[in-house]
Amino acid sequence: MDGSGKSTQAKLLYHWLRAKGLPVFHTEWNSSKIVKEATKVGKNSRRLLPITFHMIHAADFADRWAQQIEPVLEIGGIVICDRYKYTAMARDGSRDVPQEVIEDTYSFAREPDLTLYFDVPVDVSFDRITKGRPKLKFYEAGLDMGWTTDPFESYRIFQGKVSEIYAGLVEDGRIVRLDAQGSVAEVQSRVRETFDKHIDLSSTQVIDQTDRLAQNLSESDIDWLSYSGGDGQ
Amino acid sequence: MSHVGKLIVIEGPDHVGRTLHARLLSARLKANGIATHTIGLARSDLMGGLVKSRTADIHQLNWRTRSLLYATDLHDQIKHEAEPLLDAGFVVVADRYTLTPRIREQVRGGDGDWIDSLYTNTPDPDAMIVLHAGPRRLLNRIMFGERLEALNHFEAGMDLALSTSITSSFLQYQKILRQKFQEAGKKADATLIPTRYTVEEVHDKIWESVMPVVEHMLQPIGGN
Repeated sequence: MDGSGKSTQAKLLYHWLRAKGLPVFHTEWNSSKIVKEATKVGKNSRRLLPITFHMIHAADFADRWAQQIEPVLEIGGIVICDRYKYTAMARDGSRDVPQEVIEDTYSFAREPDLTLYFDVPVDVSFDRITKGRPKLKFYEAGLDMGWTTDPFESYRIFQGKVSEIYAGLVEDGRIVRLDAQGSVAEVQSRVRETFDKHIDLSSTQVIDQTDRLAQNLSESDIDWLSYSGGDGQ
Repeated sequence: MSHVGKLIVIEGPDHVGRTLHARLLSARLKANGIATHTIGLARSDLMGGLVKSRTADIHQLNWRTRSLLYATDLHDQIKHEAEPLLDAGFVVVADRYTLTPRIREQVRGGDGDWIDSLYTNTPDPDAMIVLHAGPRRLLNRIMFGERLEALNHFEAGMDLALSTSITSSFLQYQKILRQKFQEAGKKADATLIPTRYTVEEVHDKIWESVMPVVEHMLQPIGGN
């Protein structure tokens, strides 16, 4: 659900696994560069219809699948996807794209080893997203569907439909419901517990310590002043 | 899905004469009192600009992403242009439709059934024409035309590593494409027309093949 703290938790999970030295990769919905440009055009011009909205997000996913997700899986790595095909099922399904069309389009994306569904009541999601915001974006609020002209009411309707579809996926055993209410630390504790329960990492190869250190250094600077005796020389 | 209007699809490789014949067909229909509209690949308001300006980048993408981008482009035209106009009684001429994006990716290892699934809810053509020509004829049209055009790596199938020579790769790639277009055309009950004849002769063959579909709509030019 929007506003469930899912992205924060996904990042924390990533950092936890990385701290364990495991080969882990993190990827986000709608982040493929070229497809993002097209999505922006469509959203700005409000030209996207449910079917083109569906296709263009699938293009984003297909690009990341080919360039990031599949290669990492092929070499035995762990991929954390901040949203997966179930987001398309919930959002596009709420826009009346037939479920079988969505399943066909995403048929290349295997069922994950674990899918966590960060569940918060629709009212909580609504409050978190709308708090302090004078307006909602056109597609974010589902205004393209013409349910109502009030963006906040439309968003509530949209989230209600999304929540129903997720509930169906939980019932079918395709995703695991995780109570996303509580502090960040409490939720992360639940995330780790569920992760350990479902994922066996005993055969996953830890990345060599020298490579991990080199990677950490490549992303930061050494404090040269304190380096080599403290005189910076 | 049944419409008052008609959808006529013209498929075939680049430089076969497809766009020219789509234009001539549309002009003749208009002269005979039929409102027409043309759609085609990379022509949507949603994706057309991006596809044209970033062609080289799009060619670098994997076949699934490319298929989805072209499907988005075609669906945008179908929903915003073709379907409303077909409902209004127009003849919509598609200068390439679903066959080209499928064949182009199939020869690159793409899954044809999966690509077809992206077009499940698109209107079926009332008539389909597949234009074809020998690879050497296509090569001559590119290299000895008015404008000296460079061969495009993707159109020459260089990504398939058929040959290190671009002309040799083009000839081999176009041979494969021609065979695929002919097979798919026969399967779809399309009229296959070679474009080795004069423009008038090819046009007449196209006209003859679409007549059964549009005959009842024609209003004679010589009337009144």
